[in-house]
Amino acid sequence: MTLDSQTLTQIDQILLDQSAALDGKDMKRWLETFVEDENAGYFCLSQENAEQGLALGFMYDDCHARLRDRVTFVTQIWAGTFQDYRTRHFVQRVEAEKIGNGDVAVKSNFSVFMTPEDTGVSEILATGVYEDVIRLGNGSARILTRRALLDTSVLPRYLVYPI
Amino acid sequence: MESPSIQWSEHINEVPKEVFVREDVYQVELERIFYGPQWHPIAHESEVPNPGDYKTANLAGVPLLIARGQDGVVRVFYNSCSHRGNQVETAPMGNKKEFECPYHRWLFSTEGKLIGCSNEREFSPGFDRKDYPLAQPRTESFYGLIFITMSPETEALDEFLGDLKNTLRELMAGDGRLKLLGYQKVRYDTNWKGYVDNDGYHAPLLHQAFKMLNWQGGKGRQYVTTKRGHVGFESELSVATGNGALEDPSLIEFKGQDPSVGSRVISIFPTFVATKHLDVINLRFATPINHNVTEVHYAYFAHVDDDAEMVRHRLRQSSNLLGPCGLISMEDASIFHRVHIGNHAPGAAIFQKGVKSLSAVGSEFLQNDEAANIPRWEYYRDIMDFERSAA
Repeated sequence: MTLDSQTLTQIDQILLDQSAALDGKDMKRWLETFVEDENAGYFCLSQENAEQGLALGFMYDDCHARLRDRVTFVTQIWAGTFQDYRTRHFVQRVEAEKIGNGDVAVKSNFSVFMTPEDTGVSEILATGVYEDVIRLGNGSARILTRRALLDTSVLPRYLVYPI
Repeated sequence: MESPSIQWSEHINEVPKEVFVREDVYQVELERIFYGPQWHPIAHESEVPNPGDYKTANLAGVPLLIARGQDGVVRVFYNSCSHRGNQVETAPMGNKKEFECPYHRWLFSTEGKLIGCSNEREFSPGFDRKDYPLAQPRTESFYGLIFITMSPETEALDEFLGDLKNTLRELMAGDGRLKLLGYQKVRYDTNWKGYVDNDGYHAPLLHQAFKMLNWQGGKGRQYVTTKRGHVGFESELSVATGNGALEDPSLIEFKGQDPSVGSRVISIFPTFVATKHLDVINLRFATPINHNVTEVHYAYFAHVDDDAEMVRHRLRQSSNLLGPCGLISMEDASIFHRVHIGNHAPGAAIFQKGVKSLSAVGSEFLQNDEAANIPRWEYYRDIMDFERSAA
């Protein structure tokens, strides 16, 4: 079923909202881009694992409580221990289709650049595809689950922020 | 190849920083350590569970192909055609009935035999396929953990592992009957020696999670075995209360059987580290890419007898706890980078915690000591022919 342009605009808006939250290191806003539902989730794993049927990820937040804990990791537990880095997310929706109960399955390509503060040299952190289930409602959309599938099977550094 | 001239302190706890950053030192390490008389863990048999399953790997630039033959036996080959040396398989893992080199279509069985090659009648006199299998490094295994060595002089694996064997076996669920959950692969901007120099001293200081989750260390010890300074670390598994800091405390929940020695870490010279903590079973296959970069493949496992709920628990815990983005390990990754940057400054890296003598190497250490690194450094200094200053 073709999605109307208003729905696609809402979908693109939430994709950009999460990118802006991440690039702004605003973990509270990142959390708010997810549906407040027990079944909300964020998974970050290599496409290589996924293709082999291996579910293990770099990040495996399979419930809303773990999303909230992810915010705690970044803002409290790890604070002051890592080499901070800026990111820039570039996201482009490539597929969107309605699935059961009115949710929309969306695929978007992403590339994430990083600039560590101690080198100032910009590099590619990761590239891949987001597989999202997006929930529509009240004139806006939010993410129920996001799978960030990384083509980058060997990370060029440790990750602090979600991709 | 001769080692460059680097003067070491008379004190046993000091390591000149330049050994971490010099390219000429790395060239000697390749010859004496990575291609020399050492055993290197390269895979666990459970990563290739079915006939025809394979995995490719790299040890200090040498391409390897680990495959389970149709006969069920796991073998390690050089990933290089026996004809002109072309890389045979390119995928990180997969399943094949045969391995075919596309260059001249030489075809190998999953047991490594040459079973087909075109234009054979025009080959050199006396050519016989039997003389052209995929070449293999020396291989031995321990409860499914496969080690290779590229030197004919390396002693038997049993002797190489020495007293570490029991800890290693226990770490692999007691019997090595593992089931692969997946990988976290990462490159660290650090020298391989900086990657393995981790210690027990830093744990409660660097990792704020321990304090925030009210996670006290249990009783434990570190012991060093064999001349190479392999380290075994065993401790009571302490289970944190969580202190309300985590909304999903299942991340630090222990569902296993015996917490009395529930936490184990081993470090095998030169680069292999493995850990079993809570319900995480993690084998870390590491290789230098060059003197400034180390690549680590964190492989995580369940046990074959686990029920579905236990597998799910291990998957959820393994992904978020101990890897390059883990709750109590991301900071280590950051330290690998930062220590390597600092090692470009002059001077020495100095161990303090647990050092009882400036001239004698110990073998038993407290769990929060950093001195357990010293026996390995002493072995390294010796095989690299670096001389200590006179006292």
